[in-house]
Amino acid sequence: MESRRSRKGLSMNTVLMFSILSTVAAVLACTMLVFLRTYRDSLFRSAQTGSSRTISQAAVRVDEYLDDINELMALLEGSLEGEDPDREGFFDTLLAIRPDVVAVSTYDGQGRLVNCYSLGGSVRRDAAVNLSFDAGQMEKYRSGYISPPHVVSIFEGYYPWAVTMIAPLDAAGAEAWVALDISCSNISSYISGIGIGQRGYCFLMDGRGDIVYHPQQQLIYSSLKSEDSAYIAGLEDGNHVSGGVIYTVQTLKNGNWRMVGVSYLEELISDSVREAVRLLIPSVLLILAASLIISAILSRTLSRPIHSLAEAMQRFERDADSFTYKPAPGMAREARMLSESFGQMVQRIRQLVENVRSEEINLRKTELKALQAQINPHFLYNTLDSISWMCEQGKNGEAVRMVNALATLFRISISRGHELISIRSELQHAESYLKIQSYRYKNQFTYSFDAAPECLDYLCNKITLQPLLENAIYHGINGLVDEGEIRVSVRLDGEDVLFTVEDNGNGMDEEQIRAIMGKERSDHAGIGIKNVNDRLKIYFGSPYGITIHSRPDVGTRVLVRMPKVTEEAEYENR
Amino acid sequence: MRTGKCLLPLLLAALLLAGCAASSGGAAHRVYFVAKSLDTEFWQAAFAGANAASAEYNIDLTILGPQTEEDYQAQNDYIAQAAEAGAGALVFSAISYEENAAAIDEAAKKGLKVVVIDSDVASDSVSVRIGTDNVEAGRMTAAAALDAGEETLVVGIVNYDLGSRNGQEREEGLRQALQEDGRVEDVYTINVLTTPQAARDGAVRLLEEHPEINVLVGLNEPLAVGAAMAVDELGLAGRVRMVGFDTNVRCIDLMQTGAVSALVVQNPYAMGYLGVEYAWKLLQGESFDPNKLVDTATTIVTRDNMFTPESQRALFPFG
Repeated sequence: MESRRSRKGLSMNTVLMFSILSTVAAVLACTMLVFLRTYRDSLFRSAQTGSSRTISQAAVRVDEYLDDINELMALLEGSLEGEDPDREGFFDTLLAIRPDVVAVSTYDGQGRLVNCYSLGGSVRRDAAVNLSFDAGQMEKYRSGYISPPHVVSIFEGYYPWAVTMIAPLDAAGAEAWVALDISCSNISSYISGIGIGQRGYCFLMDGRGDIVYHPQQQLIYSSLKSEDSAYIAGLEDGNHVSGGVIYTVQTLKNGNWRMVGVSYLEELISDSVREAVRLLIPSVLLILAASLIISAILSRTLSRPIHSLAEAMQRFERDADSFTYKPAPGMAREARMLSESFGQMVQRIRQLVENVRSEEINLRKTELKALQAQINPHFLYNTLDSISWMCEQGKNGEAVRMVNALATLFRISISRGHELISIRSELQHAESYLKIQSYRYKNQFTYSFDAAPECLDYLCNKITLQPLLENAIYHGINGLVDEGEIRVSVRLDGEDVLFTVEDNGNGMDEEQIRAIMGKERSDHAGIGIKNVNDRLKIYFGSPYGITIHSRPDVGTRVLVRMPKVTEEAEYENR
Repeated sequence: MRTGKCLLPLLLAALLLAGCAASSGGAAHRVYFVAKSLDTEFWQAAFAGANAASAEYNIDLTILGPQTEEDYQAQNDYIAQAAEAGAGALVFSAISYEENAAAIDEAAKKGLKVVVIDSDVASDSVSVRIGTDNVEAGRMTAAAALDAGEETLVVGIVNYDLGSRNGQEREEGLRQALQEDGRVEDVYTINVLTTPQAARDGAVRLLEEHPEINVLVGLNEPLAVGAAMAVDELGLAGRVRMVGFDTNVRCIDLMQTGAVSALVVQNPYAMGYLGVEYAWKLLQGESFDPNKLVDTATTIVTRDNMFTPESQRALFPFG
């Protein structure tokens, strides 16, 4: 019962594993969350600073280029304002060393083209449209102007994309303006190679939101791609995040153009975070596996010994006699101490049980010796009364046989103090008893002995048969109308000696058998069947003793089993 | 404590593993681009677009094209070559609607994904069709041609090979729209080789045979150049309304002198770019409806609007 109830609770193993695993899982989850959050934040920051740095570097390069162009413009102004005798030569050299210059044109006060210097082609006479210089816009050109990108339209068969810078000239001559067309594709060398992340890029736009240069300009012109120019044009300088895109805007020194960096948060952050998670998962699994192993080891060193100790206690509880305890090796110190203490306790308990048992046996032996020493006074009185009656009747022969039988009975009862006597003597004792009783009961029964000769020299407890015979007479034969019969036999049964006492008397039911086997005899003094049985078990162990088979009105058969005993000393000290 | 001690080395090990894993990359797809020609500005723009896409999608692109725009046999050889070279996809513009079909079927059987741009082929193996809606482009040509004040119109059409699908579709659209207009009295068509010189000669002959012609149409870039040259040389600028295709520098020059009245401008850069982009998408396992044209924008540029920002973008390739 106790053990069954204890199974309902959680086992130590489960508790250990569960607590270790859940602690590890919780710690891992927290660590991962904190790590990913920090990682994401730092990625976000580094994406922004990276973008800012790239854009400012690109801006510096374009600024330098624009400074260079401004210097060129100043040089042009100086040259055009002065009277240079070899102006053609100057421009030939200039255009040869500056491939980024598409054309240098001068215009008069009305906006008419005066001179045009270019290597690209001849100027069309009847050019309908001049996209580089608009006479209607001259007011704007006064303080240094840079145009949106456009096609140079004044040449025959040559239509390069360019931006135009225009400056006024303070010359006395006809030329009032100088326009410098700069190739757009040349600016590409400052921008197109710049990447931010894997897919990010930067482009140049002017203050109106027109794209000056874009690495994918032709895609945009072919309507395959678009930039949200209106949104970007409205942005301040700095980083802006919109719809998963980081826009980094920086205005160039000329105050007009702006460098715009476009990079993708998704690519810079989510991919990295996803990658990190992808990497973390195997390590998390590894850690969980490791903690499983750790908890298994813990359970081996802690809970396993305790479990086996618990099992040992249960076995001890069930069967204290045959229990032996051997502590399992390789335990933690505390478990080993526990187990050793248990071992010692088991030994102590067994010693105590042993003591109790031997004390009980001694007590029982003493008790039996006292009982054996007693002679049932009724029996003695009745027998002496019978003898006296025989003498009065002159039946001297019978009286002599009775006296002899009585003498034999007493002699064997005493047996010089031995507990074990030969079966031969025990049978004599039984016969003497039956002889006396058959006189007393006026031949109401007959008796017979059937002893196997090889049994006779083995030993048995004295006064083993007499209580059985007494029982057969008092409870079986006595009051029987027909003549009773008592048969006593002894034979070998394997390694044992088997006594059988049969009668054809009244028999007993189960209730009576239990009563006879269970209680001390209380009606008169002497040894009862229970005493005989107890004594046999004390001497020879639990397999031996008395069994009774009986059927009412048919008869009773009592079996006495004991081992073959040849030396009294073997059992005397038990 | 115990888990904390395990965590650090494990994390480090995982990061090391990641470093190894990240260094391995996929191999580039091979794509062949078989065009109708190699030298016209139209095809140069298409190649620029194709190269932009191949750089973006990391594609190993091979561009091939015959010497003349009639040599469909050379195209068939190139198609077989692409299949042999183990290309994953083919971007193709057919010289002949019928004669290129067998070669395309053969290549598709060998596992090539076929993307048709610009000019169609009579094959069921085509996975995507990209380009101008040519019937609609023909109708736009007609609209530009009919945008004239004359009471009666006589139209001369300079077209290329009869076997070429896009030319026939353009003429079909053009003729439909012309028939719908009551002013059109006669339509004359000549078919010439696809060179400016052949087109000029044909156009001159046509204009001399039929002096009443007051609208002349050239249905692709070399033919437009040739027809414009004919108008210019015969001094017919202003009397004959010339409508061309695509953006040759000479057409643009002649547009400014008035020899060319309008140009129907296709988007060859987009065709090249989308052709390769769709080839890549097909190789990634996407599929498309081959009967639904991926239409690249077509615009009409006239002398009046040729320098607006939009027209500049359409007419002049950047860089």
